[in-house]
Amino acid sequence: MTRNMTTQKMASLPQTPRQKIRRIGISALAILTTFALCGCGTGTAAAGAATTTSNTLTVLTQSTSISLDPATSQSLPNTTAGLVHRRLNTWKITDDGQTKVVPDLATTTGVSSQGGRVWTYTLKKGLRFSNGKPITSRDIKWGIERSFSDSFTGGLSYHKQLLADTAGYHGPFTGKSLKSVTTPDSRTIVFHLNTPFADWPWVASLVSFAPVPYGQGTQKSYANTPVASGPYMVRSNQAGKQLVLTRNPYWSKSTDPVRSGGPAQVVYKMGQNLTIAAQQVLQGTGDGSTSILGEFIPTAQRVQALGQPAQAKLLKTSGDGALEYLAINNRHVRSRLVREAIAYATSRRDYRTAKGGKAMGGYATTLITPGIAARKKYDIWKVPVDGDPAKARQLLKQARQEHPHLTMIATSDQSEQASAIQHSLALAGFDVSIRTMDSEVFSDARSNDKGDYDLLIASWQPDFPSAYANIAPLFDSSQIGGGNMNLARYSNPRVDALIHEATGEEDTARANRLWQEADRTIMEDVAVVPLIYSRNTFVHGSRVGGFHIGTFPAYPDYLSMTIRKEGK
Amino acid sequence: MSQARSVSQPLSHVTVKSGPRSCHPLRGQSLKSQKSGAPQAPGKTRARSRRVDPRLIIGGILVTFFVLLAIFAGPLSALTGNDPYTPHRELLDDNSVPTGFGGGISAQHWFGVTPLRGADLFSIVAYGAQVSLTIGIGATVISMLIGVGVGLLAGYFPGVVDAVLSRTMDVFFGFPFLIFAIALSAVVPASFPRELLLILVLGFFGWPSIARLIRGQVLSLRGRDYTTAARLMGASTGHILVNELLPGLLPLIIVRLTLALPGRISAEAALSFLGVGINPPTPSWGRSISDAVAWVMVDPMYLLFPGLALFLVTLGFNLLGDGLADALNPRARRREMVEATVDRTSGKATTGTVGTVTDGHNARPDSHDVREEVQA
Repeated sequence: MTRNMTTQKMASLPQTPRQKIRRIGISALAILTTFALCGCGTGTAAAGAATTTSNTLTVLTQSTSISLDPATSQSLPNTTAGLVHRRLNTWKITDDGQTKVVPDLATTTGVSSQGGRVWTYTLKKGLRFSNGKPITSRDIKWGIERSFSDSFTGGLSYHKQLLADTAGYHGPFTGKSLKSVTTPDSRTIVFHLNTPFADWPWVASLVSFAPVPYGQGTQKSYANTPVASGPYMVRSNQAGKQLVLTRNPYWSKSTDPVRSGGPAQVVYKMGQNLTIAAQQVLQGTGDGSTSILGEFIPTAQRVQALGQPAQAKLLKTSGDGALEYLAINNRHVRSRLVREAIAYATSRRDYRTAKGGKAMGGYATTLITPGIAARKKYDIWKVPVDGDPAKARQLLKQARQEHPHLTMIATSDQSEQASAIQHSLALAGFDVSIRTMDSEVFSDARSNDKGDYDLLIASWQPDFPSAYANIAPLFDSSQIGGGNMNLARYSNPRVDALIHEATGEEDTARANRLWQEADRTIMEDVAVVPLIYSRNTFVHGSRVGGFHIGTFPAYPDYLSMTIRKEGK
Repeated sequence: MSQARSVSQPLSHVTVKSGPRSCHPLRGQSLKSQKSGAPQAPGKTRARSRRVDPRLIIGGILVTFFVLLAIFAGPLSALTGNDPYTPHRELLDDNSVPTGFGGGISAQHWFGVTPLRGADLFSIVAYGAQVSLTIGIGATVISMLIGVGVGLLAGYFPGVVDAVLSRTMDVFFGFPFLIFAIALSAVVPASFPRELLLILVLGFFGWPSIARLIRGQVLSLRGRDYTTAARLMGASTGHILVNELLPGLLPLIIVRLTLALPGRISAEAALSFLGVGINPPTPSWGRSISDAVAWVMVDPMYLLFPGLALFLVTLGFNLLGDGLADALNPRARRREMVEATVDRTSGKATTGTVGTVTDGHNARPDSHDVREEVQA
């Protein structure tokens, strides 16, 4: 499923890699760090070229490049790529904070037949690309086919796992067409799956289901200036500097139930130092009052803002969101007793304190995250939040490994959290050495085929609110290495079978029970140690309106943001 | 004052008269050390101390202080029962910010504790001194060894050798060091000690500037009479390089050493800042500073202490280096003074002084020296 992320460079960002990249894209550390070193403060100077009108929303981001290619983006439907690309379905965050899947380019969220194995969509009338050409079902199919190409890797891949007859398919540039997606006429598209899948409407809301004009997008550079279907199109996209989105004249509000298209322009200023950018937004200096911070606000700036009421009201914190966990490399740490000892030794309280304290989220005991229907709260190990070093020692004695040596990889931004875990494991007799690395090196190290680590801290926000997106990418044995996210390198045939069975189960209640059983089985194996369900804090300028965070995902809804007039 | 002069004057005259090889820098050096280091009559101590460059004193004190801090980091931290690793959650509030005055400064925690984990900041600064100094000194020594070696060869063998080595220096100058260091950290196996890696990397990239300097110096020395004489007497190239040229470069090397060291310490800090330096939880000033920058509005002490330590140790080495530069290589300064003197004094006196300057190997005279000598 998702082959993930790349980045986490969160300089002072107290957050998870995975989450971040979704919204913004991939960044290159070197440039960033150069800025940091020379203390140039980055961004504002680099972005000086942006013409700022009074109705411009500015997004300050640490990333140094933003990819808008539907085949390689991991962006959530309601963040950056959602401004540029419409797709068959999309998400609507309701006023009470619920996230619903709603038709976007299609007239319905999908009509299923053959027990959920075949899904049919009809496109609305009068849809046009930003180049004026009509959007047809062939363009949707072309977009999906492109995502199978070997030259466009790194995007979301849920559909690749679910579509039938994809074996040996390597994209449309080889001259072949994907048989399991058919387009009977220019407004109809039909998907044939390899298993019944009730959550297909959610999958069809992901960015891979955005149209790409048939025959276009053969080059990687398509990621910079794709043809748009949403309210905004790319005027310029300069890596390391800025991305300027302006109104797409062919977008029509009448066919789009979700996007406000409020700001006349959206400008992403890249390569920002988060600490400085956060100050700018909080204090309203420069474009600060009409800006949002693309990443989570650094803990220090959050604490600083809390002390001043005028700034505190610019903060928005999500509910319990992504699962943060300590991934144990199950291929290295083969003894279940040792893994259990790790679970008992880990002080979740120390971890959370090192992240910034209470506000960072609730303690986790299960894998399926809050807000997902299949979630059932349980705690099979009953580990105290401070850990139980005595019990851990006893388990290690039983395993006849009283001082196991473990290597933990981490980004430099995770050093405090990693140190906290290292210290609590040391109390139980573990000898943990931490190895920090550049964030891009880290994202390769954790997901490559070698898996040269014993421990790492990871975080996972499902791509859509379904237990499938929660469990399968992290624990299915087919997702080990190769850029995939089974970071625990966990392989249990029983769990694979449960995932398969639950995926195809039409009865929701029974499917939920199967997911819970998978969750529990993985926990009994101590494949990972759940730490917290992280709460993300965001900051927006005083003139940015419509800044909402639903219960899922734990990110603000970019599609509904507006700029208020000065003085209001 | 006059007593002091009476001690130093004869020595400087000795230098001037010390035979055909008086221009050998080593002579000058040894005489100099005799002069400033030789035991003196007790009554003259006060007068003598006035002649020592205050930069040497301050720099020496700072450097000594940090060396001692590094050596005794463990016992000093243990005085209050601390180490740089143990978290003190009880000293943090709900947002993981230290409670109490100045980031939790107390009798137990002299510098307070860090936000997020509540580790003892004094211990971090003290243990960080170990890391910074070890890496700084190690890397500088490696740079010196390579730089002096390459510089000697390039300067002594003009032509192909010089061309090849000089172009190599140019390449190293233009090499994107930080990117290389980041890439290297990805390639080197996890088991390889990071401290050693940093010493090697910083050392390996630090040599070109030294080599260039040495090369220039050798180019001027190789034509000197004593070098020619040695060559005519049949001395081997190795002998000339090591026994004739190298001693003349010593003052330069020592000065460069003290000036390069703070640069290496800062570079270590920069690499730790980038996450490719010392691995946590081993304390490092660089990592502490990079972490603390974000907290400066909330907990300024977190930045102040490690920042001050880095500042002071850098200042210390720089003062020491500057002081030594003047003490060991008085020419430039002396010439200035002489020029000033020429304006004020008779031609005869000036000539005498210039003679001293040309030889340039007597002890570092300060302005009093020159002027009084002239007047005498």
